[in-house]
Amino acid sequence: MSQPLSKNTYLPRKSKVALFYIALVLAALLWFTPVITLVLTALKDAGDFAINGAFSLPKSIRWSNFGEAWDTGVKNYFWNSVFVTSLKVPVGIVIESLAAFALTHMHFKWADRVFTYILIGLIVPMQMTLVPLTLLMNALNLIDTLTGLTILYIGFGVPFGVLVMRGFFRTVPTAIIEAARIDGCSWFRIFYRIALPLALPAVVSLCILDGVATWNEFILAQIFLRSDELRTLPLGLVQFSTQFSTQYDQLAAAVLISVVPIVLVFLFFQRYFVAGIGGAVK
Amino acid sequence: MKSAKASDDHLRFLPWLFLAPALAIYSVVVVYPMVYSAWLSLFRWDGVSPTKVFVGLENYGILLTQNDVFWIALKNNAIWLVAALLLPTNIGLGLAILLNSKFRGSHIFRSIFYFPSVLSLAVVGLIWTWIYHPDLGLLNQALSASGLKALRRNWLSDPNIALYPVIIAATWNAVGLPMLLFLAGLQTIPEELHEAAKVEGAGPIQRFLYVTFPLLRETTLIVLAITAINALKAYDIIYAMTNGGPANRTQLLSTWMYFLTYNYNQVGLGTAIAVVLFSLTLIFAIPYIRLMTRKT
Repeated sequence: MSQPLSKNTYLPRKSKVALFYIALVLAALLWFTPVITLVLTALKDAGDFAINGAFSLPKSIRWSNFGEAWDTGVKNYFWNSVFVTSLKVPVGIVIESLAAFALTHMHFKWADRVFTYILIGLIVPMQMTLVPLTLLMNALNLIDTLTGLTILYIGFGVPFGVLVMRGFFRTVPTAIIEAARIDGCSWFRIFYRIALPLALPAVVSLCILDGVATWNEFILAQIFLRSDELRTLPLGLVQFSTQFSTQYDQLAAAVLISVVPIVLVFLFFQRYFVAGIGGAVK
Repeated sequence: MKSAKASDDHLRFLPWLFLAPALAIYSVVVVYPMVYSAWLSLFRWDGVSPTKVFVGLENYGILLTQNDVFWIALKNNAIWLVAALLLPTNIGLGLAILLNSKFRGSHIFRSIFYFPSVLSLAVVGLIWTWIYHPDLGLLNQALSASGLKALRRNWLSDPNIALYPVIIAATWNAVGLPMLLFLAGLQTIPEELHEAAKVEGAGPIQRFLYVTFPLLRETTLIVLAITAINALKAYDIIYAMTNGGPANRTQLLSTWMYFLTYNYNQVGLGTAIAVVLFSLTLIFAIPYIRLMTRKT
């Protein structure tokens, strides 16, 4: 018996929905295969991996991979990343929001020109700065220090931070600022008592995007950190992979450890990713 | 009168004070090195000796005429760019349209498809290196298991194809951003427009072409610009997966700059490559910056 080909009656609605879900679930599974492979590899021992490959359930779950990876150096890399990120993000936010506030609410004649000047930093390839930065860091004795690396991160973070904060400050109504001015409130007080609290969601968004970006940064760390005990996670992991190229179980465990903080942030603050990226293109 | 004038003067100077910390560190860390790099590209210098020899545009001449890897890298950048403008953008748009409707679980699916974007490219590179492993890797095992043994390859060590597996891995990471941007763009399109088009008898494809897509024009421009700029910045993932090999066949301008500067001490050539890379970026960046500053 042939069905009429009109779109709505071709398939009953229920089976259409089911098909949609099945297709989506399959696509999502395929998309997530690399992550599943990573988790499975981290949970099995090297022998199991060599025989059964990556994509099979572990014969027995081997939690000790994590402890071993942690002790082989991941511990250092992890705490270095924590140090750099927790120093970079707050300092960055303070200077970026001060600048963004001046560009949006302080009737600043040069605002457009300064903003364009700052935006250039969004597009510049890192390679364009490396050699002079090497000379500069050398002269200041900051090569192979986490502090030096953090200073570079703060500088490179300015364009994106100003862009996001400016996007949100622009949504703060001028009337509120003007009213505070008339009441004799100083600009600095307006900034931290009115504008900043109103832009709190933006601050959270920026903290998260910036924190993830700092946690993941590779090239500056590669150029400016030399000794193994100072390496941050992405750099340390790549190093780890060349050193222990056959110990997939431990390497996978190391990668997983580095990803856990990101996953937690992602799960708890997901909507801020969207808000922050939205703020950057507003 | 006097106090009003004083406050005016005060006002002129105060914004600079708010801007000072950000501008100072940004100028020292980003802008000054950029300008200095461009200047250094006019010298022959090994990076350590006290004398730099001014050679004008000679470094650019050497790159164009004597440096084969420069051309490989340039071609690879072009391939990478085309792939980046086609794959993550279209996949991101498709996912955004699919996931824009509110159905049960749509948020979970958004998270799943966005997730690779929060991973570092070093991590993405490592994970995919295992997938491409000739014997133990998932890809070859899956090909064998499904009877496609003939398609098995040494994905990352075959000089003829090594770039493409890396691009696939990079795409996996790059889809999230366009998806989010398109989702944000779709949410600004009023539902009534779709309803109206439906009433007029427009099917889903027509509604996409004549309602959704024109209204996503600005989002599309931003997505294309950001994707192109990011594509030209690619570096970490090459370093993690192939390190430019085999036989320099997966070098990009960014990685080749690193090799010349830090492994071969050719600072003049290295900075010249950086300038070439930056100029390529500007092609996409100038319209982007125009767009971002237009609305002031």
